[in-house]
This record gives sequence, structure tokens and C-alpha cells, in this order.
Amino acid sequence: MWEVVKSVLAAFLGVQREQQRLKDFEKGNPVAFIAVGIVMGAVLVGLIVLVASLAAG
Amino acid sequence: MRTLLVWLAGGLTLVGSSQVALANGWNMPVGVSTLSGEIYGLHMTIFWICVVIGVVVFGVMFYSLFKFRHSRGAKASNFHENTTVEVIWTIVPLLILVGMAVPATATLQKIYDPSEAELDVMVTGQQWRWRYEYLGEDVSFISNLATPRAQINGEEARGEHYLLEVDEPLVLPVNRKVRFLFTSDDVMHAWWVPQLAVKQDAIPGFVNENWVEIQEPGIYRGQCAELCGVDHGFMPIVVHAVEEEEFDTWLAERKEAAAEEAMGIDREWEMDELMERGEGIYSSICASCHQPEGQGSPPAFPALAGNEQLISDKDWHVNKVINGVSGSAMPSFRNTLNPVELASVLTYTRNAWGNDTGEVVQPAEIAERLEE
Ligand SMILES: [Cu+2]
Repeated sequence: MWEVVKSVLAAFLGVQREQQRLKDFEKGNPVAFIAVGIVMGAVLVGLIVLVASLAAG
Repeated sequence: MRTLLVWLAGGLTLVGSSQVALANGWNMPVGVSTLSGEIYGLHMTIFWICVVIGVVVFGVMFYSLFKFRHSRGAKASNFHENTTVEVIWTIVPLLILVGMAVPATATLQKIYDPSEAELDVMVTGQQWRWRYEYLGEDVSFISNLATPRAQINGEEARGEHYLLEVDEPLVLPVNRKVRFLFTSDDVMHAWWVPQLAVKQDAIPGFVNENWVEIQEPGIYRGQCAELCGVDHGFMPIVVHAVEEEEFDTWLAERKEAAAEEAMGIDREWEMDELMERGEGIYSSICASCHQPEGQGSPPAFPALAGNEQLISDKDWHVNKVINGVSGSAMPSFRNTLNPVELASVLTYTRNAWGNDTGEVVQPAEIAERLEE
């Protein structure tokens, strides 16, 4: 699970190690990546909203 | 040593050319409002960040092209992927962007805070003029281009403020926070005065806000900044910033004049006074489309002189001026002109250029029509 989160974070930045990418494609479960991606996307939006409302407050 | 000289020359050229640009007024002005200096500072900060990035990126590029050229036997190193380099060139721009966003957001927040304004001015764009309304003061007027047609047609030499002069400037006090409410009667316009650092869209059906606190009395000029039709370049803005006492006196005078005008609606007007007034209104508002001699430019802008329908049907004529013609360039003047002005321009167009109907359109009957 931690591996999946790390890979999604790397995808957010747009940079991934080749070794890790191969590993993900061989052993990973696509559903897990999609689910974690959606959840972390929502978390990112929430964080931006929080920062913005703090700044505006 | 030689490389150093090249760098030095390049750097000097860059700084020199930016100084030339500033001196020639090609840059945005520092401005005269409480926020304009801050906006200018932000603009220059970001400009210099971009200059540094440009110098570094192109410097490395040109240096590499020169130093590792083929004729010197340079060999390309073939490799694929380097995570460290990729992380660096992702993180560095991210930090630069966030670094620029922090001061930019701080300034934006100030721009979007029109609270505690002491004066509200409604600014309405219209093809092709601006209307200003001092909210709660019963003072409103329209501001038309004042450059003579002869200059525009090239028959006369251009004046100093060619296309940047109006018949009635917007008068504002210095040292008071003034809130603007922008909207439009027809298409999108944008009210732009560089010295005030205000550039805001005027959109039909929407009200946009902005504000300004001018620090120096003076005359500040601007233009419509949203392509809005054939006369887009002919709807300038002139702001006349005056001392507070002078503004209060001016506003009181305008209020009085407006009240007097309102009283004048009920009395019986003479043909001559309506004709005289109507001629002025016609030339500043109607003539740009229907032409100074009422000949129009068909098919877009019908002729008024000798127009059979206009001459024979007063009711039809009054209706077109008050309500406009939907789907055409003819706007409704219901909110732009007051009953006396409407009656004047109607009387004028019904009697000028051989349209000798002999009819006087009274302000009172127009006032009645407007109530309907
Ligand atoms: Cu416009």
C-alpha cells in the first residue's frame, strides 16, 4: 500500500524512477492505483481549498 | 577572459534595452493610485525573474552549442533518464512559481477588497460611449468622444489628445476610496485607465467591482480594452481627479442641475430650445452611425433625412428611440437620455435636414411614454 502511495505521489510530480515504474507495471494492481489516485486527488483539492481559505480568512 | 567579455556585453545590452523601454513609456506606468505602485512593483519583480531565467537558460544553451561543437570533436553522451536531474528541473520551477504567487496573491486580495468605499460609481459601457452614475447622488451623465470627425477623416491635423478626449470627463476626488461597479448595456467592453491600474470587463448582465484611491490630482486617460464593434477605438475614458472640496462643490452643482432638469419636464418647451439642444445631442450620440447630415449609411444605419416612415409616423419614431431596434445596432436610449434630452433629439430629427414636420415633441409626453 505504501508503495502505491509513493508511486502516485511521484506521478503527481511527474517524475518516477525507471526501476520503480517497471516494478509497478509487473506486480501492481491497476484498481489500487486508480483508487489511491482518486483519493489523493481529492486530498490535494481539499488542501488547496484549506490554504486558500486560510489566506483569505 | 573572452567569455567573460561576451557575458558582460550581453548583460549590458539587456539592461540598457530595458532602460530604453522604460524611458519610452513602453512599460506600464507606476500610476497615481494607492495600489498602482504595488502592481507596478509586482510586474517589475516578475519581469526580472523572467529575465534571470532567460539569461540562465539561453546562456547554458548557447555556451553548450559553442563549447561542445562538432568541429572541435565533441562526442554526444547517450544516456536515457536521470531521475535526479528530472526532480531538480521539476522542483525548481515549482518553487519559482510558488514564490511569485505569494506576493501576487497578496496584491490581488487588496484589489478585490472594495469595502469601506466612500463613493460608488456605476460605469456602464455602451456602443460606443461610457455612462457614469454616482450612486445615491442622482447624478449621471454620458461621456462621448470629443475628437472632431474632421480629424478622424484626415481633413484636419490631429490634436494632442487625438481619440483620448471626451465631452464630459468622469470627475473623482483624490484621497477617497471610490468603488466602481462595471456593467454593459449591449456587448462586452472593458474600462481601462493605465495610470489608475484599473482594467475591468464591463459585461452585460453582470456587475464587476473594482476600486481606486487616487493620490494625485490630474487628468488620466484610457480606452475601451475589449473589442466591441466598429467604434471600439472611439470610446475613450477621461478621469479628472480633483481635490476633495472641489469634488464636493462639483457634485453639489451637478445635483442641483439634475434637480432643475427634472422640474423642467413638466413645462411647455419652445421649438427653438429643443432644436438647439437636440442638435448637440444628435452630433455627440447619433451622428456616428446616422451621419452628421442624417443621411445614414444604409443598409446598416438607415437615413433619417427624408425617411418617409419617420416623417409620417411620430409614434413609431418615438418608440424606436426609446426602445431601440432589437437585432440591430440601434440601442435603447431609455436609460441613457432623460425625457428632456429625448424630446430634444426627437424634435431635432423630425425637423432638421428638410424633415420639416413642424412637430414639437414635448418632454412631458416622453416622460409619460417612459412610464408605460
Ligand atoms: Cu467598448
